[in-house]
Amino acid sequence: MPFYARRIVFYAITLWATISLNFLLPRLLPGDPAAIMIGKLRRANGGRPLSEETIKSIHAILGTGTGSIWDQYVAYWGRILHGDLGVSSTRYPETVSSLIGAALPWTLALVGTATIISFVLGVGIGAWVGWKRGTWLDHLIPATTLVQSIPYFWLALVLVAVFAVHLGWFPIVGGYDVFAFPDGPELSWPFFVSAVQHAILPIITIVLSSIGGWLLGMRNMMVSTLSEDYVTTAEAKGLRPKHIRGRYAARNAAIPSLAGFGIALGFVVAGSIVMEQVFSYPGLGKLMIQAVQGLDYALMQGVFLVITLAVLAANFSMDLIYGFIDPRVRHSG
Amino acid sequence: MPRITSRAALVVAAGAAALSLVLGGCTSTPSSNSSGNVLRVWAGSATPISENFNPFAVDTAVHATFGAIYEPLFFFNQLSSDAPTGMIGDTYSYSDDGKTLTVKIKPDLKWNDGEALTAKDVAFTFGYGSNKSDKLVNTEVKDDTTVVFTYSTPQFTEASLTLGSTWIIPEHIWSKITDYMAETNPKPVGSGPYKLESFSDASYTVVANEYFRDGEPAVKEVQYVGLDSNQSSQDLLTTGQLDWVGQFIANPDSVTASGDIATMNNQQDPTVIITCSNADLGCKGDQTDPAVRQAINAAIDRTAIASKAFAGLPAKSNPAFVLLPRDEQWLGDNANGESPQSPDAAKAGQILEAAGYTKDADGFYGKNGKAIELDLFSPDGWTDYNDAAKLISEEAASAGIRINARTVSDAEYWTPISNGDFQMALYGLTQSLVADPYSNYSQYFASNGTVKVGESPVTGQNYSRYKNDVVDQAVATAGATQDTATKQAAYAQIQTEIATDLPYIPVVLNASQAFFNVKKFEGWPTEDNLYANPLPYLSVASAVVLTHLKPVSN
Repeated sequence: MPFYARRIVFYAITLWATISLNFLLPRLLPGDPAAIMIGKLRRANGGRPLSEETIKSIHAILGTGTGSIWDQYVAYWGRILHGDLGVSSTRYPETVSSLIGAALPWTLALVGTATIISFVLGVGIGAWVGWKRGTWLDHLIPATTLVQSIPYFWLALVLVAVFAVHLGWFPIVGGYDVFAFPDGPELSWPFFVSAVQHAILPIITIVLSSIGGWLLGMRNMMVSTLSEDYVTTAEAKGLRPKHIRGRYAARNAAIPSLAGFGIALGFVVAGSIVMEQVFSYPGLGKLMIQAVQGLDYALMQGVFLVITLAVLAANFSMDLIYGFIDPRVRHSG
Repeated sequence: MPRITSRAALVVAAGAAALSLVLGGCTSTPSSNSSGNVLRVWAGSATPISENFNPFAVDTAVHATFGAIYEPLFFFNQLSSDAPTGMIGDTYSYSDDGKTLTVKIKPDLKWNDGEALTAKDVAFTFGYGSNKSDKLVNTEVKDDTTVVFTYSTPQFTEASLTLGSTWIIPEHIWSKITDYMAETNPKPVGSGPYKLESFSDASYTVVANEYFRDGEPAVKEVQYVGLDSNQSSQDLLTTGQLDWVGQFIANPDSVTASGDIATMNNQQDPTVIITCSNADLGCKGDQTDPAVRQAINAAIDRTAIASKAFAGLPAKSNPAFVLLPRDEQWLGDNANGESPQSPDAAKAGQILEAAGYTKDADGFYGKNGKAIELDLFSPDGWTDYNDAAKLISEEAASAGIRINARTVSDAEYWTPISNGDFQMALYGLTQSLVADPYSNYSQYFASNGTVKVGESPVTGQNYSRYKNDVVDQAVATAGATQDTATKQAAYAQIQTEIATDLPYIPVVLNASQAFFNVKKFEGWPTEDNLYANPLPYLSVASAVVLTHLKPVSN
C-alpha cells in the first residue's frame, strides 16, 4: 500500500523534526532560568546569603550550561527514548511525567467532551440551517459567530458571575468540590457527581465560544452540496426530503468539517489555558503557562512534546480515516 | 438576532443547571457545612499544588510548612517595635561583643510525633543544610534547654534571620536525610500548632497538633486551597466558601459590604524605580548621573500614581527607607520622612540645569547635544506596575525628561536586573522584618552586596550597583553595635547619603490587603491589637494568627 507507506514515512520525518524543534525552542527564549530561581530563593529567604552548595545544586537541577548544544541534544534524545521527561525546576523535585500525568485526564475529559459536543451540535445544527437556507434560521449564523467573537475570558467571567456566584447553580472553581473531598480524587459516585457538576459550566463556556465556526462551515458546505447535480437527481427521483438531507447532502458536506475535527481533537491535549485560569480547573494549559513564565525547560518540553504527539497522532488517524471514507485522496499523487 | 441565541443559551444553561441539581440530589453531601469549624484559606498557591513540606525549599514548599508545621525560635512581629515573642525559644542574649549567642528554649517541648524537642535539635538545625555558616565556629549544648553559639563576627543584626526565620527541624528525622534540597518531606514532623492531615494537588489540610506546647489550637482544622485567579478567590470569599485570603481587590467594599468579611491593609514594602546607578561598575545610561535621578524624583506625581495605578491603597514612601511609624526612632532628619507627593517640574529643571543640562528644541533636557533618554520596564501583566510606569513616563516628559516605559516577560525582567544590564525598572524591595531598618541598608545599599555589571550579586541584593564609602562605613558601624545612639548616628548618615544619591527612587509603600471572615471566626488582629500581620502567605505570622483564632459559637 504505497499510500499508507508514504504517509508513515512522512509522519516519521515530521515527528523527528518536531521533537528536535521542541528541544531547540525553549533554548531560544530570553533569560536565564538559574538567575530567576536564585533571585526568587534570595527574596524568599529574607536576604540570607545563599550557600555555595545551594547555588551549585540549582545549576545542576536546571541542567543549563553543561556541555555543548550537541551533547545536550544527544542526551535529550536518550532521555526521550527512555520516557524520562526530566525534573521540573519550578516545582523541584517533582518529575515532569507525574505533573503531566496528573493534569492530562482532566484536560482530555473536559476539553475533549466540550470539543465533541461543540462539533456534534455545530455540524448537526449547521446541516439543518443549511437545509432550511433562506429562512429565519439563517440568523443563527451571525448570532453564533457573534458569541464566538466575544473574548472567551470575558464570556467565562460573566457566566461565572451570573450562574455560579449570583444564582449559585454551579460551583465557582475546581475540577471537583475541594471542600467536600479534601483528600483529593476518589473512586466513588459522590465524587463523580461532583466532578460532573464542576465540568458543566466550563463545558458550556467552551461550547458557546467555539460552536459558531462549526456551524458556519457546515451550513455553507451544506448549501453548496445542495446545489450539486446528484442532490437534484435525488429530489427528482422523489426521495423523501429527510433521506436526501441525511444520506445525500449532510454526509458529503461533513467531510471538510471532519478534517477540522481531527485537528481540533489533537489540540484538545493543549487544554484551554484561559478556561483553566478562570475556573482554576486542573489541566495541561496552565502547566504550559507556568513553565514558560518560570523558564522551566523540562516542563515546557514535556508539555510541548505531549501536545505535538497528540496533534500528529490525530492528523495521522484522520489521514487514514480520510483515505478510507474518501477514496479520491488515495489516488491524488 | 442575538436574542435567539441568548435564549438558546439560557435554555442550555438552565437544563445543565437542572442536571446539576438532579445529580446533586442523588447524593446527600451538603457541600458547604460538611464540618463547620474548618477554616479555609487561600495563601496564594496556584494549582496544581506540589507536595513539598521541606523547610529548606523556601520557594517551592507549601505555605503551611513555615509556621503552622515548622517554627523558628522566636516570632518577630513586622508591624511593631516590641521585643520578639518566644515560640520554641524562651530567652536569648548576646555577649557584649555580639559573637556569642545564648538561647534558652522552653522546657518539655515535643515534636508532633511525640518525641522530645531539646536543645540538641536546635544545635543540629544550625549545622544542617543551608543553615550552615562559616561564621559559626562553635555550637555547644549546655543542657536540654540551653544552646550556645559562638561566631567569628558580631551577630546583632542577624537576630531576625537566626532566631526568626531558621526553621527548627528534628534531628531524629533529618539526620537520615542526605540530599536536603531534593527532599519533599511528605510526612513533616514539626513543632508548630498544626500537623499535616491530607494532601492533594488541589488542596491540603492541616489539623491541630495534640503535642503543641500551648495546647491544641481552638481551630481544629485548616484547609489550604489552590486557586489560579484573584477573581475566583474573591468569588469564593463573597459566597462564604473561603475564610481567609491575602490579595489585591480594587474595591474592597464590595466584599466587606455584608459585614461577614473584614479587611485590613498594612503597607510595608517599598515600590521603587531601581536604577543601575554606578558607571564605575559598568552601568550605562543617563541615570548613572545622580542629578538625573534627583530630577526624576522631583518630577513624578506620587499622589496620582498611588490613586491611579495602585487604586489608592498604598501609603507614602520615604527616601530614608524606614517604615513609619514603626521605625520612628531611627529616622535621622525629618525631611527624609516622606518623598515629595506632588510633582515639581520647575525643581527638576533647576536640578538638571545646575548639573549642566540644557533644554533642546523639543523641550527635553540633554547634555552635549544628546537628549536624555531612559528605559523603564516592568513585568507584563503586573498592571499596577505597568500603569505606574506609564504615569512616570508622562510626568517625566512634562518635566523635560524622556523616559520610555515598556513591559517585558517575567524572564526578561529578572535576568537583566540581577546582572545589571538595565537602566531603570519598577521593582519591589522587601521591608526589614524587624523594627530596625538595618537589613534594608545592608541588603540594598551596602557595596559588599553588589558586583560589577555582568555578574549577579551573591551576598546581597544591591542590584543598583550602588557604592558609597560613607554608607558602607556606617552600615559596618551599625552592624557591630547594640548601642542605640551609635546606631542612630550611623543611620542618619546613611539616610542623608541615600536620599541624595537615590539609587532607588521611592515611589509608594505597597499595600497588602487581607480579608477574613469575622462571622465564623474571631480573634483576628485589629488596628488596636496588631499582634501579627494577618496575611495568610506570611510565614510565622500566619501561624500566630491561627493560634489566636476561635470559631464563633452561634
